[in-house]
Amino acid sequence: MNKVQSLITSSSPHIKSDETISNAMRDVFIALLPVTLVSIYFFQAYAVLTIAVCLVTACLTEVLFRKLMNKKPTLYDWSALVTGLFVALLFQATTPWYKAALATFIAVGIAKELAGGLGWNRFNPALFGRVALVVLAPAYAYVNQWFQPLHINLGMLDTITQATPLAMMRAGMVMPSVGELFTGFPAGALSEVSPLALLIGAAYLFYKKHISWHIPVSIIGTVVVLTLIAGQNPIYHIVTGGIMIGAFFMATDWVSSPFTTKGKIIFGICIGILIVVFRVGLLITEGVAFSILIMNAFVPMIERMTSRSQFGKIKAVAVPMADNKS
Amino acid sequence: MGSTVFKGGIHPDYHKELTATMAVTEMKTPGKVVIPLQQHIGAPCEPLEAIEVGTEVKIGQKIAQSSGFVSAPIHASVSGKITAIGPYNHPLGRPVEAITIESDGEEKWDESIKPPGDPGNLTPEQIREIVREAGIVGLGGATFPAHVKLSPPPEKKIDIVVINGAECEPYLTADHRVMLEKPEEIVFGLKMMIKALGAEKGVIGVEDNKTDALKVLEQQVAEEGNITVASLHTKYPQGAEKMLIQVTTGRIVPAGGLPLDVGVVNHNVGTAVAITNAVREGKPLVDRVVTVTGAGINRPQNLLVRIGTLVSDVLEQCGGLKEDTVKLVIGGPMMGLAQPSPDIPVIKGTSGILALTGDDVYLAEISPCIRCAKCVDHCPVQLMPTSIAQAAEHEMFKKAEKLHAMDCFECGCCAYVCPSKIPLVQWIRIAKAEIAKANKK
Repeated sequence: MNKVQSLITSSSPHIKSDETISNAMRDVFIALLPVTLVSIYFFQAYAVLTIAVCLVTACLTEVLFRKLMNKKPTLYDWSALVTGLFVALLFQATTPWYKAALATFIAVGIAKELAGGLGWNRFNPALFGRVALVVLAPAYAYVNQWFQPLHINLGMLDTITQATPLAMMRAGMVMPSVGELFTGFPAGALSEVSPLALLIGAAYLFYKKHISWHIPVSIIGTVVVLTLIAGQNPIYHIVTGGIMIGAFFMATDWVSSPFTTKGKIIFGICIGILIVVFRVGLLITEGVAFSILIMNAFVPMIERMTSRSQFGKIKAVAVPMADNKS
Repeated sequence: MGSTVFKGGIHPDYHKELTATMAVTEMKTPGKVVIPLQQHIGAPCEPLEAIEVGTEVKIGQKIAQSSGFVSAPIHASVSGKITAIGPYNHPLGRPVEAITIESDGEEKWDESIKPPGDPGNLTPEQIREIVREAGIVGLGGATFPAHVKLSPPPEKKIDIVVINGAECEPYLTADHRVMLEKPEEIVFGLKMMIKALGAEKGVIGVEDNKTDALKVLEQQVAEEGNITVASLHTKYPQGAEKMLIQVTTGRIVPAGGLPLDVGVVNHNVGTAVAITNAVREGKPLVDRVVTVTGAGINRPQNLLVRIGTLVSDVLEQCGGLKEDTVKLVIGGPMMGLAQPSPDIPVIKGTSGILALTGDDVYLAEISPCIRCAKCVDHCPVQLMPTSIAQAAEHEMFKKAEKLHAMDCFECGCCAYVCPSKIPLVQWIRIAKAEIAKANKK
């Protein structure tokens, strides 16, 4: 026993689960693949270009910002790729590639890295990037002029000129069947083409225990109830637009959602209410994105309100012994 | 009763198969033992007057005690000559006064060790005195003096005694073997506790991954009207006292309170056997069952080891450490203490000696918290570990206290599940130490 050993003396626990941030982020990426593939099936080269541009921009932006801030690059944690893919899925296939790239740059560079990096961003980065372009539309229109020559024409696709189902609904047009909308209908943003594909991805995240039911169920439940009250068909609302990706993927983003169970439910209900207000009341597009971002801002407050009660909480009772170990 | 499940907790890889089927064997008497004067929670012991370097002692002879009530006397675990009294390495980290006895190999028991009389005629007072004199402490690892838990303040009526056979720590099988091999002693010890406390009934809680132990104990209590065996869901930390009491009795120990606040006293199965040995034979606590295990051990086994045996001697008996051992832990992998060297004695609370190799020990870089809430969801006492850790990191200890940091019993579930590998338990421990310091002022 005279072997010289250098033994590690770090704190307990001495065993840890195999789960890492990289694994978890990679799982989110995997969960987005079904809808990504369906969108490529419908929009072909357009979708491929948008997605590729966003992924590359996300990685370059992260490396650039971390270099400027003297931090080690963390591309291995998949978070830049996930944000990049999210941004791509939030745009329509015909969006000019430089517009998607700009949104990705804002998402990764400003919403995430400038906020302190992964874990510190208050707002969902992808939604922040997407909405920034909506809010800054006048400025973008100006910028657009410089980029115009860079536009790549991939030829025409029949599908991409189609009106989105939500626009059709507002215009009182004849709607495609719910079944068609659910399995695959090529209109709107890449992520809106197939609720079914999103659900398959979400099921994977549930299976891997990365997300819980609380946020998606409270968002969708609230939308169903409120649209019924408003006298509309709730099914159309759920299978169209950004509700599916919003409820299952965006609002459940760990960093920008509450971590208490009660908080998750309150967060979800509030998002649901806002979505219906935006969609039915104000007739604004991007209602889901706005709703989630607004509620992101309230997360610290929600967490304070729903702070977990103590195990075995009692009203002041004298405790006989100071030592509570046994 | 076994249907209720506590909230939170984890399902780690248990690795119990390494030693679960191996009967307890007695380790050969070591050449020397080093017996620390503090092996329990409470006042440290002082050597008795007659005890000095050169004194001849016999097994079971009391060599140190304290006048404090929350304390447990210490007995010689081998016969031989005292060769040193002074500080020696201790599993808890700091050197502690210890008595070194060189064994003479004669294994003579002290003449004072004799049965204290018919157990049936013992009064509660006598049982408590026997348990106290035998130096028995909580053998599950917490080492709280057993007689103190058998002496609740008069205003606290105790009706249930819970025996902890959960053994939820991965790797450890010492309690499992004790349950298989000493069921009669466990039940007898429980009956003595019920008598000492004037309680009504007893429950023995065992995790349902130990079906053989459940069966053996159920047979043992078949004739007992007031003792039941509860099959518990296998989930760490099922053996933590608050969780155990919740699932076996349906009672919630108040925050900052003790089991006796809800009429419950709980003891480990090993403690029950030690009490039986003391009551029947007058035998003080001089040895205990230790699981020596892990991928770094050449011959994992369950050993009956004399208190004070050096861990290095125990390892030698088990074929030594493998070259690729990177961590030596006293206790289980979730709550045990990593040791810089095996030159430390086995003490009353040493339930396991665990050697982990490179594959077991995760040394990933720490990433920032991504607020995934896994620590929150798995905390058995409903804390928000990442918030407490963050408060500690920013030295906001008042905030940590408001987040109930003091309720944390350091089970390690949060740090186990954390995908960012943040040392949450370590941060919370810092917060607890600072809060305790501030509150003392």
